[in-house]
Amino acid sequence: MKTKLKFTLFASLITSTSVMAADKVTFQLDWLPGGDKAPVYVGIQQGFFEALDLDVSIASGRGSTDALTKMATGQSDIGSSDIGALMAARAQDDVPVVAVLPYFTQAPHAFFVLKSSGIKSIKDLKGKKIATSPFTSSNAFLPLVLKENGFSEEDIQLVKSDPGALAPMMITGNADAIIAWVTNTALFKNQASSVGKEVIEMPWSDSGLSLYSSSLLASEKFLTERPDVAKRFVKAYAKAIQFTYEFPDKAGADLHKMVPEVDAGIVSAQIKSITNLVFNDVTEKDGFGYFTPERIQKTWKYVAEANGLEDDALEPMMIVNNDFIPE
Amino acid sequence: MNQTYPFKFWCKQQVNRFAPGLFFIGLVLLWECICVFGKVPNYILPAPSSIITAFLNVEFSRWMTHLWATLRVALMGFFLSIIIAIPLSIGMMRSELMNRVLYPALIVIQSTPVVAVAPLIIVLLGTDDPSRVLITCLITFFPLVVSTTTGMLETPPEMIELSKSLRAPRYRETWQIRIPYAIPHIFSGLRVSITLAIIGAVVAEFVAAEEGLGYFIQFSTSFFKIPQAFAGLIFLSIISLLLFKSVQWVQMWLFPWSLPKKK
Amino acid sequence: MGPVPNKTDKNLTYVSLKGVGHKYDPHPNSPMVVQDIDLDIHRHEFVAVVGPSGCGKSTLLRMVAGLLVPSHGSVSVFNLPVTEPRDDVGIVFQKANLLPWLTVRKNVLFPLKHKYGRYSSADEVRANELLEMAGLMQFADKMPDELSGGMQQRVGIVRALLLNPDILLMDEPFSALDALTREQIGFDLLDIWREHPKTVLFITHSISEAVLLSDRILVMSKRPGTVMDLIEVDLARPRTSKTINSPRFAELTDIIRGYIYEPNVPV
Repeated sequence: MKTKLKFTLFASLITSTSVMAADKVTFQLDWLPGGDKAPVYVGIQQGFFEALDLDVSIASGRGSTDALTKMATGQSDIGSSDIGALMAARAQDDVPVVAVLPYFTQAPHAFFVLKSSGIKSIKDLKGKKIATSPFTSSNAFLPLVLKENGFSEEDIQLVKSDPGALAPMMITGNADAIIAWVTNTALFKNQASSVGKEVIEMPWSDSGLSLYSSSLLASEKFLTERPDVAKRFVKAYAKAIQFTYEFPDKAGADLHKMVPEVDAGIVSAQIKSITNLVFNDVTEKDGFGYFTPERIQKTWKYVAEANGLEDDALEPMMIVNNDFIPE
Repeated sequence: MNQTYPFKFWCKQQVNRFAPGLFFIGLVLLWECICVFGKVPNYILPAPSSIITAFLNVEFSRWMTHLWATLRVALMGFFLSIIIAIPLSIGMMRSELMNRVLYPALIVIQSTPVVAVAPLIIVLLGTDDPSRVLITCLITFFPLVVSTTTGMLETPPEMIELSKSLRAPRYRETWQIRIPYAIPHIFSGLRVSITLAIIGAVVAEFVAAEEGLGYFIQFSTSFFKIPQAFAGLIFLSIISLLLFKSVQWVQMWLFPWSLPKKK
Repeated sequence: MGPVPNKTDKNLTYVSLKGVGHKYDPHPNSPMVVQDIDLDIHRHEFVAVVGPSGCGKSTLLRMVAGLLVPSHGSVSVFNLPVTEPRDDVGIVFQKANLLPWLTVRKNVLFPLKHKYGRYSSADEVRANELLEMAGLMQFADKMPDELSGGMQQRVGIVRALLLNPDILLMDEPFSALDALTREQIGFDLLDIWREHPKTVLFITHSISEAVLLSDRILVMSKRPGTVMDLIEVDLARPRTSKTINSPRFAELTDIIRGYIYEPNVPV
């Protein structure tokens, strides 16, 4: 009780001296801090939020569903999570969360192989042993990407293992290929090079799996009760995304400042390796920062198929709110 | 003969004294050798030297931040479970009805994996300390209830007859006879609970936290910094060990009579 | 409570059992533990109860103590039926049952602390006197586990004397002790009894102990326990180690032994 009181006093002291009556926003990550989560840290460190009179705090998450739940129940206002998870959730339940800004306009899922394995394309994976982690959303999309390449799950040997064990399994030859997000590319390359090996990534987006992925989502309560705050936040956040990918080294330093356990160098390497998820031919065509009905429709088709949902279980544009796109 | 005997005795004494430490050092050296000469990569089993390096690479103040976060939750959960478990055990000991109603409920709570209900707790209590303290408490309080109840029921029946023959009020039977008799049991329960409290705090941090040793380990693993994760893990075990020892010290200090007699 | 008895009245019956029987299971066909016990104990009398194990000796004691309600007959103390434990009845148990977290002195004072929540300095003086009498003064501040078994049981007796009961119930108090200690503590008890005369009901399974200590001996049969004989012990007091060597002592023990080992042979 006493600690809590002290803490409150302390917190109010800080806020009252530094930011006078700024609007408080709680930002939800869908996982622990890392390179792909850099924009919100950049926004704080570069003062983008402060400039628009926002006081942003960050809560880490433990997966897309966890992040969605926390936004839906009001633990946090706005955050980044997979739009596919939101679609699947909305198709089955009335979750009061909507998407307001695309972040990854391409899927981050990929196969990773060692260069020495001789595997050059997804087609070469036929008959191979592939390791994946038990709860990744990639697993749902795996049959689709295999189908695009003319075979099915029955043609491979799929094993499930802890995320931390995947890269070691590949490096030690316990698995021919592994499934992970391209956000991990920099880390895998680091690990492999320490034993003199080279890793190749084969993104699924290159072989037809083209959809929206990680996006900025917000609770409907936040959008209806504080639309002005939301609008300012999205504006500052969009600016932070631009800055992050323009200056990955600065972004790395900003994240390190707030989370000292993270290496600035690894973060900037991560950012560089995923730039094409954020800025690519899709954003070139559609422009950065808003969801097009066609691509939302396409994303839903993939999500529905991957999760075994009926096509008409959801009107996909219902989960998008384009009103908060910065001018 | 007469002179060698004390020397031999002295040697034996010294061996007894230093053997555990030497064994431990030997084990660490063996580990180091296996890693270095066997060329075991860090991501499979980091060598002690790289764990120490990883430990030193993290700023001391960061360690303290994480330590304090975990310790705070573990201790609050631990004390909360004492506050709940002991009155509950007294109630269950004194009322057969309460015992029959509550015991099945307690077993249900105990056998429910806390991780499964953790999201519910987070939704109800938020992502701050209260949630984590409750998760810790749920893990720690059952052994305490069991040990306290067992202890109170193992009071010699003749002591209870003495109390009855004096027509003493029942609360004094509880406070002056049953609870003191339960002290050795309560403390073995406390020793189990304090180590579970650390596990509870770590589990809670896996669910929702921005700092703490459990969070730190999970975080290090997500960046594939295995030596750093091991450093966190070893730090955590040392804290567990110290807390375990502290419970023993408290027992030695407050209730020396309750310790088993040395033969 | 009814009229207060005049405890100095020589004719007052201190303890009276009339047709007492008991069974733990209330079912009509269940076996009796003790049956048809009649016994009157008078002022400052020392009565021992002997019998084979399981004959219900301890059950009898607990009914006098008010810890058990007899299923048949009546138990009264000072001509009043026993409905609950009384202040003027003290109990010494088979084991010393000292509280290991209290010093010897505090253990002696425990009945007051437990009954009333406190004790006065006058009570402490009394506890010291009792400890002095039992030769335990130098151990007053020791913890129970620092004492031998015999000394612990002496503390148990002193504890029972604290509230100055008129009647002392002793439930095989020396059975946990070794033979030598046992004989010595028997003489100690006689010394204490002479200085602080009490009415004693003494349960034992040692025949010689019963003969050495008591005025009368109730011999019980095996379960269900009934009265086989009530023997007058006509040995002179004070009794010493010489008493044990007297022919009458041997005679009395033989008679009782006869009951215990050959229960069908009439004497």
